[in-house]
Amino acid sequence: MNHAATRAEAERRRVPLIDGIEKVTGKARYTADLDHADALVGRIFRSPVSHGEIVRLDVSQARALDGVVAVVTGEDCPHTYGVLPVAMNEYPLARGKVRYRGEPVAAVAAVDAETAQRALDLIAFDVRELPAYYTAEAARAPDAVLIHDAKPGNLERQVHHSFGDVVGGFAAADLVREATIDCAEVNHAQIEPHAALAEYDPFSGRLTMQSVSQVTYYLHLMLARCLDMEESRIRVIKPFVGGGFGARVEALNFEIVTALLARAAQGKVMMELTREENFLTHRARPQTAMRIKLGMTRDGRMTACEAQVTQRGGAYAGYGIITILYAGALLHGLYDIPAVKYDGYRVYANLPPCGAMRGHGGVTVRHAFEALVDRMARELGLDPFDVRRRNLLKAPTRTLNDLTVNSYGLPECLDLVEKASGWRERIGKLPRGKGLGMACSHYVSGAAKPIHWTGEPHATVNVKLDFDGGITALTGAADIGQGSSTMVAIAVADTLGVPIERVRVVAGDSAVTPKDNGAYSSRITYMVGNAAIDAAKNLKKILVAAAARKLDAQPEDVICEGGAFRVGAHGQAALSFDEAVREALVDEGTITAKGTFTTPLEAQGGKHKGGAVGSTMGFSYAAQVCEVSVDEDTGEVRVDKVWVALDCGRAINPLAVEGQIEGAVWMGLGQALSEQTRYLEGLPAHASMLEYRVLTSAESPPIETYIVESVDPNGPFGAKEASEGALAGASPALVNAIANALGIDLDELPVTPDRVVDAIIERRRRTRRDAMRKVAS
Amino acid sequence: MSPLAPFKVARPRDVAEAVALWGAAADSRFIAGGTDLMVNMRRGVRRPELLIDLTGLDALGEFTIAKTGARIGAGVTLARLAREPAIRERYRAVTEAAEAIAGPGHRTVGTLGGNLCLDTRCIYYNQSEWWRSANRYCLKHRGDVCHVAPQGKRCHAAFSGDLAPAMLALGAEIEIASPAGLRRAPLADLYVEDGRAHLTLAPGELIVCVVLPAAAPASAYAKARLRRGMDFPLAGVAVALAMEGGAVASLRVGLTGTNSRPFLLEGADDFIGRPMDDAALARLDRLVQKQVQPMRTTLASANYRRVAAAALARRLAARLANDQGATA
Repeated sequence: MNHAATRAEAERRRVPLIDGIEKVTGKARYTADLDHADALVGRIFRSPVSHGEIVRLDVSQARALDGVVAVVTGEDCPHTYGVLPVAMNEYPLARGKVRYRGEPVAAVAAVDAETAQRALDLIAFDVRELPAYYTAEAARAPDAVLIHDAKPGNLERQVHHSFGDVVGGFAAADLVREATIDCAEVNHAQIEPHAALAEYDPFSGRLTMQSVSQVTYYLHLMLARCLDMEESRIRVIKPFVGGGFGARVEALNFEIVTALLARAAQGKVMMELTREENFLTHRARPQTAMRIKLGMTRDGRMTACEAQVTQRGGAYAGYGIITILYAGALLHGLYDIPAVKYDGYRVYANLPPCGAMRGHGGVTVRHAFEALVDRMARELGLDPFDVRRRNLLKAPTRTLNDLTVNSYGLPECLDLVEKASGWRERIGKLPRGKGLGMACSHYVSGAAKPIHWTGEPHATVNVKLDFDGGITALTGAADIGQGSSTMVAIAVADTLGVPIERVRVVAGDSAVTPKDNGAYSSRITYMVGNAAIDAAKNLKKILVAAAARKLDAQPEDVICEGGAFRVGAHGQAALSFDEAVREALVDEGTITAKGTFTTPLEAQGGKHKGGAVGSTMGFSYAAQVCEVSVDEDTGEVRVDKVWVALDCGRAINPLAVEGQIEGAVWMGLGQALSEQTRYLEGLPAHASMLEYRVLTSAESPPIETYIVESVDPNGPFGAKEASEGALAGASPALVNAIANALGIDLDELPVTPDRVVDAIIERRRRTRRDAMRKVAS
Repeated sequence: MSPLAPFKVARPRDVAEAVALWGAAADSRFIAGGTDLMVNMRRGVRRPELLIDLTGLDALGEFTIAKTGARIGAGVTLARLAREPAIRERYRAVTEAAEAIAGPGHRTVGTLGGNLCLDTRCIYYNQSEWWRSANRYCLKHRGDVCHVAPQGKRCHAAFSGDLAPAMLALGAEIEIASPAGLRRAPLADLYVEDGRAHLTLAPGELIVCVVLPAAAPASAYAKARLRRGMDFPLAGVAVALAMEGGAVASLRVGLTGTNSRPFLLEGADDFIGRPMDDAALARLDRLVQKQVQPMRTTLASANYRRVAAAALARRLAARLANDQGATA
């Protein structure tokens, strides 16, 4: 293809998000903006202690307060909930025990916020305290009290996977090195705080729930379960959502509590959580302690890898099992490593439960791995790019743990960022305090096996065409700012050959849109995109048949392009789109077409226990270079620039892809530099946007993005995921750059100034010691 | 968001009325930008009955820079302080401190007086009512234990204003209004080393303006923090240094973020008459490390704050000496 033509074509594909204008003009209505003039105010009473048996919970005074309409407690909901059918061990409101400070215990609905707060103050709550554990180590101590009865050692799940000849692999290595690396717990810190608006209609016995969810279908299921309601009586609507990143990727306690309150009050309840409560709800990336070992030949070929990973998962299961499985599974699929052993431990602790967060499960292990590769490359005198190139996969292939790799643009990603950053000319020649580092990463394009196995397709999209000639695409896929609705519009418009303006997308309303599993594991573009294309193709068949009828031609000769139908590739436009629609509606009326997508069985992972996790139709691949300046006096690390390339198969909307790459790198840098949760005896000391330090614009570097199009054979138009793949490489590229700048290896994230200063002081001491030893000898 | 407890607002027309209003309620507070007070009210650590709004008082907006010195009203915004060329020219540390406060939005409404009277801060204090209650409160508010130093008898919350060290280093005085009239005092007298009550203002007293002397040595301010935007100083240092013939003619070092009050480094006069060479800088480093008293009031380690304060003092002193043609 002609290069200029490609550029022009890519330019044409840059579509601003279809809901962007509403957002930037303030017209968009998020959950907290919904009309709640006639709604009661919901508030949650939370446990002040970390661990204990509930001795007394007396809400009678709260209930008796003027203006209080409903009070609910654990007695009002005897059902557990949770995202994994095998690990539902949490009540929306505590029953019997509390397991972390901040756990919901009771809730009130009152006429206003002040009354609701006064009611909370009137709740009497006595607990017989139990020992509390804030580290995985303390929770796993032999004499530790069990946080959950059936979980000895406070171990939620352990995973032991071994593929290939690990012993032989290490024996064949010229260099074997180990690193012990710790990454702090982080939080999504999405801009929009949690909120839910629930309305229970006592006459019809129906519940309407509007919430910030990324997974309205899972929320629907959990509401039915916890409220003992028929699913058909529940409607879940997703308004505009201000960021997800995994924070809302399972039904959350406050959502169920809001529904319980609405039913108890026989009316409408608005629940808006404070920023602190958002941090207490948590469900983000766990603190992870890792010991990682790698074998390498003299020329940089990886021979074996061993990783031991311990995640401090918090008080409840949530997604924990998936997270600890992902951490092992994603050791595979990026490089060709002949032998990999993985031991994972997911541990309970008396802290807010962890969950899924952008780059789910893979980020911290990738950080450790890429940092270790860099250290070993240095020791062997090899260039880190060369080491990566020596260990590339060749698509199509299957990994050791049976994951499908059909497209693999990592080599091009490496070439692009190496050149763009001027790596060859600049590495090793930068002034003191400045450094360059690089790393690679990857991520799944949708979990190939859904959490709830129903036998249904992985995605379904409906399209409706009516007298007005407008096409409405109906999808349950949750647009949470990532641009999924725009992607659906493009998929439908491009397949039909009509301008995008003709397509309207209605998303996320269980009464109207087909079920969708939701916005997680970067599944929407791949799965919903394919379903949308399928739906549009089915609609097109109907229109082409109608046009052929009208034009007296064979359907296979009719072409739809630019919103008009013609006979033959160079034929004259003979029928406008509206004329074709009118013809198609004759005798039929409103047309509805459906499209689906199902992941083939062979892509659904290996047969080993946990083998479904990590399985996907295609991985995205990324390489990035980070340039830093380090202030040796204050330990301040400044990221000067990042060059990043992502293989997303094909960029359906390059504008959106660039935004997603930048966002992924930015989030990764936040985790690398300053983001971390900190608990003081189980109380979150970080629970504000001042103490939880996401990067401000002052720390955000310019990010130069490059898109690699490997064209995945099964992706929609060849596309794969674009939002998560570049994240995990950001933090290792940064620590590798610091190592390049100062010669210090940092084993902990985030790389805060105090840690940098400590490492510099330690290096000085070491140098002095070594010098003295030299003098002495 | 947590609901605010109910309160009344009064809008006095002049300073006399403002200070007279103080006694009208059992718990009154002056409010200007509100960037500190409103957050504390939301968190329930301040529950004033009466807010006395100072934003309409002309006297607090005074801004005079003359040969005799500068008079800057307490109501002058941080944004204005940061951009006034005359301040930048003569009192550079003030500009640099003002620029480094919070974010642009805060600086647009935050004021000089507010920043000088900033409440002290601590991770056990700047938390919600639920949080503090679950932690059985603390010595600074409603409790009887300082969680930072449980054996001690005093509150260690840290003063975190950026302007005070700059003003101290430049020898600022303040004018204070009260129902009894106006009084003038060195800025240093405003503060005492007690996190619970670090300001010496009597009830109803109001800072009207800051007076800076005409003779101002070269000055600079820098702060250590985790992010270059938003964050309070983990340690903040202002240095005012005059060199003459390669020797120190005057040196003042103001410190913030490490103690319950901002303070001037003691022993700075000992540098007078000597060059600001490597030995002097090392001595300065040691002196700062010895005098700052960071405690576990922030999530960053206390030791880091000590080391960073010293490193910044050394760096600023070296730079100012260098700028004046003296080799550091």
